[in-house]
Amino acid sequence: MKRKQPDTDETPPVSTPKRPRTTDAPTNGAVNGHAAREKTPEGTPAKKTKSTPKKPTADTPATLKASGLKTPTHKNKAKALFSTPTKQTTAPDTPSKARNADRSAKKKSARLLLEQDDDEIWDGADRLAEEILQDDDETALQEPTPATSATNGDGVIRSVEAGSEEPAAGDAAAPTPKRRAGRPKGAKNKRSPTPEGELPAHERYFFQNRAGPPRTSNSNLSKVNLLTHEEYFEKMAQWVDPFQEEKALLLDLHCRSFPQWDFEFDQGFNICLYGYGSKRRLLQEFADWQYRRHSPDNEDDDTATISPPSVVIVNGHTPGVSIRSIFATIVTAVLGADIPSKMGSQPQEVLELLQSSLNARDSDSPPITVLINSIDAPSLRRATNQALLARLAATPQINLLATADTPNVLLMWDLNLRDQFNFVFHDCTTFAPFDAEFDVVEEVSALLGRKGQRVGGKEGVEFVLKSLPENARNLYQLLLTELLSLSDEGHLSDDEGEEGAGGARGEDAAAAGIEFRALYQKAAEEFIASSEMMFRTLLKEFHDHQMITSRMDASGMEILGVPLAREEMEGVLEDLVLA
Amino acid sequence: MDADLLELDTGGASKDGSQSQGVYIYRPADKIKSSGERPTKRRKVARTDLPKAANSRPFVSLLNGDEDAKSIELRYRIYHKFWAAQEAKIKGILDDVDSEVLTNVLSFVRSTSPQTYDGCIPAALVTVGSNVSSLGRLLSRLNGQLTATGEGGVIALESGDAPNLKTTLKNIIRFGITNTEGNEGYQSFVTDREGPRVLGYDLDLLADYVKRKEVKKLVLAFRDSEAFDPGILADLLSLLSSWLDRIPLTLIFGISTSVELFEGRLPRSTVALLRGRYFEIHEASNCVDRIYGRIQAEQDGKFWLGRNITSVLFEKSSDSFQTPEAFSRTVKYAYMSHFFANPLSVLLADDDAATTIQRDKVCEALRNLPSFRRYCEDTMEEGCAEQVRKLLEDDAFLLEQSAQWVKSGQQKMRDMFKCVDMVQRALKKFNIVKKTSISDLAIRALAGELQTSASYEDILRAIKTLDSDQMPLFAMMLPDTLTASSDFAQIQADFGALLQVYQGTEPLKSGYDKQHSVVATTVVQQRVKLSKAKVKLPKENAEFTKIIDRFHALLEACLEETLIRPNDLVLHEIFLLDMRNPLKEVFSPRPRFAVERALSSPFDYLISSPESSTVKVSAHQPAAAILYQLYLESGSLVNVHDLWQAFYAVFESEQGNGCDERTAMALFYRALSDLKALGMMKSSRKKVDHVSKTAWMGL
Repeated sequence: MKRKQPDTDETPPVSTPKRPRTTDAPTNGAVNGHAAREKTPEGTPAKKTKSTPKKPTADTPATLKASGLKTPTHKNKAKALFSTPTKQTTAPDTPSKARNADRSAKKKSARLLLEQDDDEIWDGADRLAEEILQDDDETALQEPTPATSATNGDGVIRSVEAGSEEPAAGDAAAPTPKRRAGRPKGAKNKRSPTPEGELPAHERYFFQNRAGPPRTSNSNLSKVNLLTHEEYFEKMAQWVDPFQEEKALLLDLHCRSFPQWDFEFDQGFNICLYGYGSKRRLLQEFADWQYRRHSPDNEDDDTATISPPSVVIVNGHTPGVSIRSIFATIVTAVLGADIPSKMGSQPQEVLELLQSSLNARDSDSPPITVLINSIDAPSLRRATNQALLARLAATPQINLLATADTPNVLLMWDLNLRDQFNFVFHDCTTFAPFDAEFDVVEEVSALLGRKGQRVGGKEGVEFVLKSLPENARNLYQLLLTELLSLSDEGHLSDDEGEEGAGGARGEDAAAAGIEFRALYQKAAEEFIASSEMMFRTLLKEFHDHQMITSRMDASGMEILGVPLAREEMEGVLEDLVLA
Repeated sequence: MDADLLELDTGGASKDGSQSQGVYIYRPADKIKSSGERPTKRRKVARTDLPKAANSRPFVSLLNGDEDAKSIELRYRIYHKFWAAQEAKIKGILDDVDSEVLTNVLSFVRSTSPQTYDGCIPAALVTVGSNVSSLGRLLSRLNGQLTATGEGGVIALESGDAPNLKTTLKNIIRFGITNTEGNEGYQSFVTDREGPRVLGYDLDLLADYVKRKEVKKLVLAFRDSEAFDPGILADLLSLLSSWLDRIPLTLIFGISTSVELFEGRLPRSTVALLRGRYFEIHEASNCVDRIYGRIQAEQDGKFWLGRNITSVLFEKSSDSFQTPEAFSRTVKYAYMSHFFANPLSVLLADDDAATTIQRDKVCEALRNLPSFRRYCEDTMEEGCAEQVRKLLEDDAFLLEQSAQWVKSGQQKMRDMFKCVDMVQRALKKFNIVKKTSISDLAIRALAGELQTSASYEDILRAIKTLDSDQMPLFAMMLPDTLTASSDFAQIQADFGALLQVYQGTEPLKSGYDKQHSVVATTVVQQRVKLSKAKVKLPKENAEFTKIIDRFHALLEACLEETLIRPNDLVLHEIFLLDMRNPLKEVFSPRPRFAVERALSSPFDYLISSPESSTVKVSAHQPAAAILYQLYLESGSLVNVHDLWQAFYAVFESEQGNGCDERTAMALFYRALSDLKALGMMKSSRKKVDHVSKTAWMGL
């Protein structure tokens, strides 16, 4: 399937406007892809096939054409983005290895065609197998990338849908220089999540949620050096946003509706801004604008008696923000210096104080503008908080402008609240990064379930270990040794000794872990801990520093692990032994 | 602008002090700068009363900023005048709608006491259905009445006020006292008490208040009774019933479901403490229809909402529950947007005010109106080139003409709505259709489709079967334009003459009435054959049939004439607002769609300036958009490693070797955290380094 590529060789490297603006752009992307891939006849990325159906040249050999017909043509419709080629592979594979892999693939393919295991294999695999067999006469030059097909432990072949977008692209393109040769990680267990053809949204949902084991590759981020905070900020500081101009234009466009918003405020509406992107800047600009518009122009003017409008800004994503503090700040804005000494501890009380002090003001004093950044931030999201904010919004002299970031923000408000909020909605997509709102690195590590590693990975663990007593170090060393030997055994047994099983060993080890009792036994044998009490004390220290993980397995036994990748574990162990 | 922004961007770090603060009172950072440059700017502007006016009117200058202050002022004034009139109508309706229930509830509150109910707490159960806002209106009016007479007050509780018994009691006491005494009064009431200090939730406080103020009725209202925790409610009610001898309580329960369901949720012992009556508040849709009818079909109307807006309005209130207030606010927004954005709306001003408008600008705008152009084209085709030339060249003539057009257009609209009103009333009167609302008919009429509708046919058919008693009733509904015509007077006179002659007790029937046709049944070849035949009519009836025929013809012609397509009127843009869009976007937003669109086709939003589109831009989409599209392609479980590889591949291929992996990864991080924040993925425990997908596009 991969080998049809040469036929596109004569395609001249077309330079096309790269940015796809319209839906017909995919062509461009595909062509770009070709241009980029010209030089690499072997190790072609899987995605190439996408462009083939578009450009069947006359001199394509018949066989190739036949197989070409089989390429899933619907992929044309995919966005240009995905057809962009992955990598100019620098061909890390030696031909012999590749040929071996190819031979193996052929063998498997033949077996597959005989067995037809429908449960396990996506029907596209049959086609792929067929093609691999057809390609018998092809030369080694056109070896498939190892990614095309691969075996796993039990010898059943799983295939990558050649044209599959995204994750497959990742696997196929994966041969980064760092990676060792051998079975690519993403290859096994792989089924394309992309169904045939363009499905309607609900069908796609059901297709992607169909029952069965997870159909993703086993590759993981253990080899990837994750970003630290420092590096992230350093990189982002260097990075120049290519869309500065467009974003500025977009912001300017929103800024032009300030008078309109002001009019809406004037007529008693509150405003809710939604759409992708941080809206902090916009709110800041609006606050400035309000100041400029409503503040007295000059001291000697007769209008100088009008005080500038009070603008209160709330940042919903700030961790400490509470409804009470919001209300209290507004009270301060209303009353200025003469705030009552006791406002009450309940937000309701503060709100009532606010309302009564607003009523006591002159009717022509300027309204209070409250700008809430991210009204859907987790801390403000709770129903009681929203109800209180709605009451605030319903207060006549309060103008509330809230921004919402999440797509499902409307679900927060029922009929009653919507009525109280009295929102008019405006789409204010800014594309501005949420830098102020989120701690990006933190969010991502939480997403990956690697919060523990944030402590500093290997370095952090070593640092902690240095400050621990001898016994503790010995125990950690023991733990690491046990874990490593366990994982080695495991791999030897199910990998049939095959070379280059670059799988998720570190993670496996961490996932496998060692049983609490067993570790205690060993520790006692080594005279590290004389009593279980002492043993637990030592472990607690590790726990506190997030150096070990503990979970209950199915039978209720406590399993201990280390939240480190195998390499890191080895490193720590080495240092411990040498120290 | 750009330089400015960039500068601000880099200066963002210094602003972080305020960024990290949760809540703060905003003070502009560049106050010194702006106040430093402002005076120079202002000197250029003539020292008129502009700043003052600028503060009073929030409208901006239209027509490319050429509109002068007077016109803007005028627009603003017209808006206020128009809307104030409509608002008063709406308020009248809302007051009227609940007034019956209000008097009932009020008399209930006044007449009942625990004594009359054998020691049970008097309770009014008010079912509100979807009309949730009505209870609030009712309670505030009840409160107004009770406090005005010094009888007591209303304590309105929401479920949010009752997280536990203590807080609930505290809130009840506080609401009760602050209602008349204010916040300070409450504070002093709590602190300046003789005897031992009591806690905020001690009902002694309330009893004391009742004694001191000689409160006769204290109404405790549970606005959303279903949402209260039944346990707390039961405790509260048993507690309150034991205080009943000291606090004269009456309860009001707002119920959205049904009384039975509400009762079923409470323990029997609690239910036994209550006794009361049941009140019903009408559904919102009724009210909404009435409001619409008043706003549109009233005879002093000068400005109308078109068909599209009407359908948006009613779509919203039928698709989702909508309170009458929300409905009228939507209408208000339509008015707002018309006067805010249409510079020609100044032509709606009264004649004397209209002299102040800027002639040249307005005329230019008038000539650009589609309806004006169409009119000119039509006039040209008719061969009146002179007229068109004059319109195009002579400003004064154009203004004069357009004033006339606007007037006649408004008159036509009024006539049309009169007809709609007539049709609706007739339909109701003769029970032709089970349920007709003014909104349905108005939508048809505004689209110019009423003639082709079934109701229209029905009406005309019904007319033919009118008898002599119904005929005058029907004639009373007719619009003035019709009754004023000489033909109608003639028919009336003939009809009167006929009635005088006619002596019978039975009303006269026309020949189209069913009674006057007989069905003959004959059996032909074992088949029943029905044949209809007219019986011979008595002379009076024949006369009457003729009158009915004339009447029918007259009415048909009249309807034909008045039921125009409003969008065909010249200069309808001025007095008819018919745009679906600001309204729909503003009140039924689709934030999810917006986010999906921004991420899946970012260039809908990021329109680059024309220069940069010709220059070859170094190409890619924003990182989050790339990631989102990769994410869309994945299954329900996403391998982050693979996602990262795919993401990096996109960058690598576009930027060649110049691509920095770490920078790409930083972008990847940022995009990933964005998607997480948008609720599109969450961490998964199924596999290492996997996340699960939680949003499907387009669902």
